[in-house]
Amino acid sequence: MEIRPIVSALLRNKTGALLIAAQIALTLAIVSNAAYIIRDRVAVSSRPSGIDDESRIFNITVGSIDKPDDAIAQQKREEQLLAALPGVESVASSNQVPLGQSGWNMSLFLDKAQTESSAHMAFYFTPGPLVKTLGLKLIEGRDLIEADVDEIDMGNDNRLGHVAVISQALARKLFPGGESATGEHVFVGNAADAPEYEIVGVVERLQSPWSQHGDDGEYSLITAIRPIESYANYIVRTAPGQVDRVMRDAEAALTRPGSDRQVIDKQTMTETREQRYRADSAMVWMLVTVTVLLLLVTASGIVGMATLWVNQRRKQIGVRRALGARRFDILRYFLTENLLISSAGIALGCVLALALNQLLVSRMELARLPLGYLGGGSLALWLLGVVAVYGPAWRAAVISPAIATRSA
Amino acid sequence: MFRYYLQLGFRSLRRNPVLTLLMVITLSVGVAASMSTYTVLHMMSGDPIPNKSDRLFVPQIDTGNMIGYTAGEEPDDQLSYPDTQRLLASGQGVRRTAIFGINSAITPERADMAPLLTDGGATTSDFFAMFEVPFRYGNPWHAEDDARNSDVIVLSRATSEKLFGDVDPVGRELKLGDASYRVVGVLGEWEPLPRYYRIINGNGGAFAGSDDFFIPFSAAVRHEKRNSGNNNCSGDAPAAGYAGWIASDCTWIQFWFEGASADDQFVIKAWLDNYAAEQLRLGWLKRPVNTRLRNTMQWLKHLEVVGRDSRIQAWLAFGFLLVCLVNTVGLLLAKFSARAGEVGVRRALGATRREIFHQYLIEASVVGLVGAALGLALSFAGLWLISKQSGAMAAVARMDWTMLLATVLLSVLASLIAGFLPTWRACQVRPALQLKSQ
Repeated sequence: MEIRPIVSALLRNKTGALLIAAQIALTLAIVSNAAYIIRDRVAVSSRPSGIDDESRIFNITVGSIDKPDDAIAQQKREEQLLAALPGVESVASSNQVPLGQSGWNMSLFLDKAQTESSAHMAFYFTPGPLVKTLGLKLIEGRDLIEADVDEIDMGNDNRLGHVAVISQALARKLFPGGESATGEHVFVGNAADAPEYEIVGVVERLQSPWSQHGDDGEYSLITAIRPIESYANYIVRTAPGQVDRVMRDAEAALTRPGSDRQVIDKQTMTETREQRYRADSAMVWMLVTVTVLLLLVTASGIVGMATLWVNQRRKQIGVRRALGARRFDILRYFLTENLLISSAGIALGCVLALALNQLLVSRMELARLPLGYLGGGSLALWLLGVVAVYGPAWRAAVISPAIATRSA
Repeated sequence: MFRYYLQLGFRSLRRNPVLTLLMVITLSVGVAASMSTYTVLHMMSGDPIPNKSDRLFVPQIDTGNMIGYTAGEEPDDQLSYPDTQRLLASGQGVRRTAIFGINSAITPERADMAPLLTDGGATTSDFFAMFEVPFRYGNPWHAEDDARNSDVIVLSRATSEKLFGDVDPVGRELKLGDASYRVVGVLGEWEPLPRYYRIINGNGGAFAGSDDFFIPFSAAVRHEKRNSGNNNCSGDAPAAGYAGWIASDCTWIQFWFEGASADDQFVIKAWLDNYAAEQLRLGWLKRPVNTRLRNTMQWLKHLEVVGRDSRIQAWLAFGFLLVCLVNTVGLLLAKFSARAGEVGVRRALGATRREIFHQYLIEASVVGLVGAALGLALSFAGLWLISKQSGAMAAVARMDWTMLLATVLLSVLASLIAGFLPTWRACQVRPALQLKSQ
């Protein structure tokens, strides 16, 4: 093969080749790390919440300035009002919404004598069919029923419910041996008067309002409480495709003339999810943009440099052609030259990528880069190099041998 | 000669237009990516009160019980009510204030207006002087109002205009929740970035949201206002009712000291340690003395107000700029080396290497100037895109004069750095060789 003459030609004119190799190395370092971050963010933001068909769910929070005397009757009236709206399939009030980013976080204890809690979990409470409204999959035991509901004046009453449905992730955390959680008892807090719960059922999955990255993002407990409060948050499941209309109707119905209710907050589940992962999707878009631009810039650099080399060597190419080299030989010369430079750049780039990743790991608490991303990135840059150099190399190949006979 | 070279530089932009365009675009995209992400970082990590940030201090006291105790753990970021009361009365530093957030509805005088749902703060009279809050109408309430639990209120400008229109509302009454308050003042434009005085809040976080009103801390407690925002309680549940809650070790109040100078940090920290030791002896605190006292910038760093994502983005964007620079070096090298003959002729006619160096470096910086103009435009476009993300991003994705200047400087500097190697190579041209080959 003709690698030796290519190498010695490169060594005589190092600068350009070094620049291209450096550029490929930096590109590989950034692109492989960016791709990994993108993959990670996409995976995080597409985790299931446990809700069946989120596009049919919305929540609306209404409040009055003064705590109504008949808070419980008012909540029941409002639940009936919502349930009677056309397009509504199910209604349940709840203290918080999965992915809603604010809510109750409590410590769970299997035994009050423990000094360390067994789990930190999201504490949902509802007086209604929350499991049915969210479409959670009950995999063990039973759902909460009307008879389970405690009516509690929050802040003036230390009771906090007595039966619970928990998520499968929480059940596994509490009972790692795989024994059934149904029928077991747990405590919220470990004080002497900490509330005790009997677990009556397990749902397959229910994310917390914060949807943390680890398993704890799915540690949830639902208990049956009707809180006596000046506000209420209703979660509504609608018929397919009607969520926006029903949300408007719900707002109009709850704040109709004569009612002292005001809408504090309303959001479709789709919006809630978007808001929760807004930073992640912004990061993904930023990185995708940088990656695409980076590849374009590097490709243009390769094209520019290759064009320059072809122009500088027109005469030599003509001489080679005149001495019997075929077009394919010229093409192969430039492709091989490019592969050599790319390979050097990629080798350096792998080291740089790991160094950059090390920096991100130590300073930004990112995870370590799987080596597959280096392989993928290297392959992509090799291909990019070949594609970019092909144009100039083809133009070199079509140089006429007659050019050798001309003088400038 | 400078002007002549500048002219030549601009004229040479038209020679190899494709190559030149590629250079300008590469450079400007690199500059725009790094400057728009860096602007966000710059705005996020700015000093919100530069003249006294080093003498405003936030105390932290470890109020937990011995269950799950780990030595040296970071104490909670907020204080309990009993500690707050004692710290307010301590006389340490020149001023002290405490603040917690309140959600409440304001009922306007006019019956035809719906009540406003508002987020505000309960604080003490020193708050306004400590944080140099500007007033449009009226004044802060007085220390006597704190002592007498007066029902007075200071409104933000936006709230005042919503309730009363663009008039001076001082002296008028309004209903907040179920009690009546007298308006004593209206704030001027006050949007510190970040909202350092109450970073831990339930309405917007460090960069978005605002406080619609302020009422005296003592009045808020008298009206049994619960805080909106974080409320951390250790193992023992507080006794029932409001009185039980405020007497408990639950932490829900943010506290600030103002020292006479930066050195007061040591004085107040020593006092705080002393205080914690005494409260440990008295049985109020359960854990060994573990306190912190951070000044404003240390506090912002501790709360990580600069998002990790923003930092990663800025780093990667500067990496991108580096690639753009290397690319520009290559392209300039290509452009200049095509003109070796021209250099040869000039050198043969008596131009020194220094002259050639000047000419080509100026030509490189012309590329930088054009790149700067385009880069600036692209930076604004980038910031506009970033500001679409969220309210918080809209607040920080704004270019100030420093950043504007930095963008132009970075472009020109980048092109000078990129032009250095190609220029040096151009100077190495040996005239004899060039003339012979022509």
